[in-house]
Amino acid sequence: MKYLSLVIVLALGVAAFLIPAPDAPEPGPPVGVEDPPVSICAIEEGSGRTTEVVILSTVDGPTRLTLFASGQPAGTIGQPTGASGSAIIPIVNVAAVGTVGGLIEMPVSSSAAGAIVVGAESMSAESCAAVPTQRSFITGASTIGGQPFELHLMNPYAGEAVVELVVQSEAGIESNDRFESVVVPARSSTVVDFAELIPGRETLSIAIETVKGRVLGVGRQGIDGESAVWKAVEGSQDWYLPIPKGGGSKRLLIGTPSNVAVEYQIDFYGPEGLEEAYQAGTLGPRGQISFDLAAITEEVAGVRIISTGPVVPTLWINSEAGLAITTASAVEATRWFLPGAGASVGGQASAVILSVGIDGATVSVRSLREQSLVRTIDLPADGVVEIGLETADGYLIESSGPIVAMWIARRDNAGIAAMGVPILDG
Amino acid sequence: MASRMTDAPTPRAAESPSTEAQSAAPVVRVLLTTVDGADLTTALATVSRQVYDPTPDVVVVGLESGEPPEGVTRVDSLEEAIAGSEADIDYLWILHSDARPRPDALGALVSEVELASAALGGSKLLVAGTREELESVGGSTDVFGEPHSGLDEGEIDLQQYDVVREVAFVRSASMLVRRDLSQGLKGLDELLPPIAAGLDFSQRARLAGGRVISVPSSEVYHQGRCNEGDRGWREQAGRLRAMTTAYSLLTLLWLIPYDFIVSVLDSVLSLLLFRWRPAVHYVLSWGWNIYHLPSTIGLRRRFKPVRVLGDEELFRFQARGSVRLREVGSELSGRILSAFDEDQAITRGTRRVWGSAGIWGAAIAVLILAFAMRSFFFIGVPNVGASFPFEVASTSLDRWFAGWNDSGLGAPAPVHPSIGVTGLWSWLWFGAEGAARTLLTIAFGFLAIVGMGRLAGRLGYRGPGRYLSGLVLLAGPGTAILAGSGSWLALAAAASLPWAVRAVFVHPHDVGRGRLSHIGWAALLGIPLAAFSPLLAVVPLLSVIAWKVLGGKSSNLGLALIALLGAVVAAPFLLGDPAWILDSGRRLGLSVVELWPVLLAIAFVPMVFIDSATRRLGALGVLLGLVGLLAVRLPYGGPGVEEAALVLASFGTALIVAAGLDVVTSDPRRLMGAVVSVTILFLSIGALGNGRLGLPGGDLNERLGFASTLAGDAGPGRVLIASTQRGDIPGEARPGPGFWYRVVDGQGMTSDEVWLPAPLAGDDHLDRALQSISGGGELRPGELLGPFAVDWLVLLGPKFRLDEVLIAQLDLAPVPFDPDSRVFANPVSVPLADSGTESIWLRSGTGFAGESGSGRVSLAVNEDDGWSPEPGPHDWHATVSAVDGVASFRGAGLNVVLAASTAVLMLSSLGLLFIGRRRR
Repeated sequence: MKYLSLVIVLALGVAAFLIPAPDAPEPGPPVGVEDPPVSICAIEEGSGRTTEVVILSTVDGPTRLTLFASGQPAGTIGQPTGASGSAIIPIVNVAAVGTVGGLIEMPVSSSAAGAIVVGAESMSAESCAAVPTQRSFITGASTIGGQPFELHLMNPYAGEAVVELVVQSEAGIESNDRFESVVVPARSSTVVDFAELIPGRETLSIAIETVKGRVLGVGRQGIDGESAVWKAVEGSQDWYLPIPKGGGSKRLLIGTPSNVAVEYQIDFYGPEGLEEAYQAGTLGPRGQISFDLAAITEEVAGVRIISTGPVVPTLWINSEAGLAITTASAVEATRWFLPGAGASVGGQASAVILSVGIDGATVSVRSLREQSLVRTIDLPADGVVEIGLETADGYLIESSGPIVAMWIARRDNAGIAAMGVPILDG
Repeated sequence: MASRMTDAPTPRAAESPSTEAQSAAPVVRVLLTTVDGADLTTALATVSRQVYDPTPDVVVVGLESGEPPEGVTRVDSLEEAIAGSEADIDYLWILHSDARPRPDALGALVSEVELASAALGGSKLLVAGTREELESVGGSTDVFGEPHSGLDEGEIDLQQYDVVREVAFVRSASMLVRRDLSQGLKGLDELLPPIAAGLDFSQRARLAGGRVISVPSSEVYHQGRCNEGDRGWREQAGRLRAMTTAYSLLTLLWLIPYDFIVSVLDSVLSLLLFRWRPAVHYVLSWGWNIYHLPSTIGLRRRFKPVRVLGDEELFRFQARGSVRLREVGSELSGRILSAFDEDQAITRGTRRVWGSAGIWGAAIAVLILAFAMRSFFFIGVPNVGASFPFEVASTSLDRWFAGWNDSGLGAPAPVHPSIGVTGLWSWLWFGAEGAARTLLTIAFGFLAIVGMGRLAGRLGYRGPGRYLSGLVLLAGPGTAILAGSGSWLALAAAASLPWAVRAVFVHPHDVGRGRLSHIGWAALLGIPLAAFSPLLAVVPLLSVIAWKVLGGKSSNLGLALIALLGAVVAAPFLLGDPAWILDSGRRLGLSVVELWPVLLAIAFVPMVFIDSATRRLGALGVLLGLVGLLAVRLPYGGPGVEEAALVLASFGTALIVAAGLDVVTSDPRRLMGAVVSVTILFLSIGALGNGRLGLPGGDLNERLGFASTLAGDAGPGRVLIASTQRGDIPGEARPGPGFWYRVVDGQGMTSDEVWLPAPLAGDDHLDRALQSISGGGELRPGELLGPFAVDWLVLLGPKFRLDEVLIAQLDLAPVPFDPDSRVFANPVSVPLADSGTESIWLRSGTGFAGESGSGRVSLAVNEDDGWSPEPGPHDWHATVSAVDGVASFRGAGLNVVLAASTAVLMLSSLGLLFIGRRRR
């Protein structure tokens, strides 16, 4: 028994030593990530300006617009997209709210929204943004000569947001207490007036670094009574930008939020097709560079910007057709929404479509309204086309190959340039 | 006896037989008070044999039937007899008819009383029918009249008290009193029983200026038929009356409240010794005195003219403090000390106390334990992990008896069996749940140490290791990990285990004796063990089998099977949630480092070559320990198996340490065993360093206190807690998409919520809601969580998916209430009980209550037919009619029966213990 017990004990001991411990229980597998089908729009209502929000969708479903101000919903309205897949909501029908943010809930993720702001002598439009990113960047602003420039920070969510603004101008990094720990309360907007804080700056680029919460930044530039609105986006290393035809001041601005130098290359889609490495160079830390596109061609064209670090290109047009600013697109897609394109308040509108695939593409342009019309065009590889648009709530551009689409509009001396919204799923 | 007759001091009256002396001797009358059952004829015969001249005449007092013998006068009362005594009589000898005085007793009394110029003298009383067992040599009292004889129980008369001395009182069984004084005092108080009557008379005699002495040379055998030895409530009441008669009003002003406080304290302390009678006696005693207050006032008036001295005269002969409290305190401390002092070292004398190795081990273990529990004394028991406050006692007991299980979203499944035990414990502490929990936790520490010591002692081990091994039981390889994860029940189970195992081993001296007691203990101790850790209920049986196989004696298989009956306490819980012992996915994922099986094996190797006793205990320990460690590593069984295996591992390790440190000599084998055991001991007690017996620190309920503080009129709802770290979730957790989660009561989590019942429809709905939220597609997660009455969402640990998605949502407001977590308020949650009107329904016990009405009340708990009145499902949750203003739940009949069976088993066990003790 003495030795038997020893043997048993040793056997048990060895077994307890050698058998590996069972794996610790794990929770269930994470579910797929999906952003809610929402868009955040910059709204101006009052002081001679009014906004129309245009919602486009691939389905007939309910939408809801909620304006938020001072921590509370300032007004809300629901409207279905209907059979056409489009809906227009005049903000004047909701509330007279001033400069606020609006949150649009859409039926599916294959939806898009845009806001058109119309004043007596001004007009601007920008597609609304989905869930904002933690870091975003806006370039192309100016306060020279008393030009007004505001950064509209919108936080439609339940939690307070705090952002740090890193402002770069030709004078270097701008230092101002108002750029530090900017609080955007829950369900509120904060407007930073750069013309007041740092007047006389010709080139401004602003990196919005969110410390807490989420904030969408929208730049609002004014020149001689005309205005343009364009949103801050996350930096990327690959961009596409269709360029409408026309003269005047038509510039490509490339800025980087990076703290280190970034090399870039511009491929040019001109009348002669694609010209790779048309321009190349280096952007200094948080640097910005400007190209006069009108000097290259007044025809419809396009560019692709490739870089070694994050950059954001912006198209800046100031001509007799008005002021229009929009940011390039970091993605290519086969389907695009042009919310607001052809809207009656927007005047004469056109779509600019850039084919970026290896092969040519057959592109159908569908107007979204009660009786929609479809036009089909063939676009060669690396080709760019500008086509006029009829009155509609917006347009759906579908292509057999990857394209990038934007729209422009003019009315009297006011102009609009707005990048389309790619439909990446569904 | 002959020698005693020779050695006894010779009475002076008897040694002066001259005629002159005899004629000068005082005249005595004997007042023989009849006692039921006592032989009067024999009593008269013993009186007639008194060597005393002049021969005393005899008056029989209180003979209700029959005629007194010839020449003997009879009167009805003592007062009448005293009053009727003529002036030529010097002394009255009051004697009970159940007393048998020796022939020289009267002579000695008279002689000493005369010599001492005393007014009252009492004989030395010996217990009739014994070999000179002392009953009384007079005595002192405390200020409340509680007699204190100074004699030990069964003390033999070796003439150690044979000196004439003043005493506070003498017994009325045999007392000699001056006739004139007794007439002044109007004799004994007829309402009082014998001891109290003696006390009362002695006190009054002293206050009247007389001396009261004990005369040990006057020996009287006392049959005790007058129940003088009975400490019944009448004696107690009599003492209170004697006190109120004798003391001045000024003294009574402070003395009566003081006596009342002492009564309450004595009652409470006696309850700790499982004695209920003192409390009842006090009630009866005070009631009796209130009833007889008029006659007491009359007595005081009658005594007032006779009184010549102040109360100080009484205080001179009184002991300080309360004799009652001293006795009960002494017994309590004795019981506590005896827990460690099986060798009776303390009772053998302090000089030899430290010669007992066991006492050394116990002292060191208790010192370490006190250090290891220091936080409990100052801060209390932490509220983290699986350690949470007890619920209100009545609610706990209601849940135990098939009430609603409110854990998570609620379920009809029975609660964990420990809830019944903690509910009962809280109830015994008059509903002071906090104090009950702290005291119980502290008690676990001591019970583990004492239990291991007593278990090893029963198995025949006396060394220092047996108590020190209790520390290993509390903080060994398994319990340390469990306690570290916040398992309060691991400590409870560890504390219960050695006692339950001990109950199935019978001491060789007790084999064949006290069978009922053994059965009672085995059944009784099996209940808490199974309640705290159900699967450990089999360990006593396993231990017995292993012990028998190892050749050990004194284990009892029958008792082990009886102890297994205790598992009935866990039957409802296990039947309601079998996955608790079957589903490995619900485990905590605790594992013991590989070092421990190696250490156990190394510790056992030298024991193999020592003596068989050491080998046997070592083998039992190492087998149980390794089985526990092995079971933890096997991927089978749920958290119940994990918990039991880990506690078993510590128990086995503790037994090894007890064996290894039983005898420490320079023998290399013992030395090696001791070295490894000490190593194990040191490795274990490291876990106790945090001052909380290894439990983690913190107070989750305090952290979540905002939930109840900011609750609206409808009361706090629930808090949803989520984290990627399993250990961050209090109690059991449900697996979510990439994280763990659970809901807890916004009022503060209680111990019944630790275990989550099997998921029901509501739980599935909540799971789907969280899937949807964590997917990021929900703009209004608060609306999704609202129907579950989730007022708050708290994210713990490192940031994870929910943190990301909750940044971009509209209705859960982040609030900075807790710096260590992310808290979101949900303004759109529904109340736990929603009447749909302005009427507010709140929690009430295990159910809800509110204003009655004609509508229905929606309860944010899983639907079940047990709800009433008029239950009805609505989606996943329950609804009831508001007609009664109450929503209550009663579970399945089987669960009620099983719960009641436990109560029956417990009461039966107590009954067996009581009967067994009586028989002994």
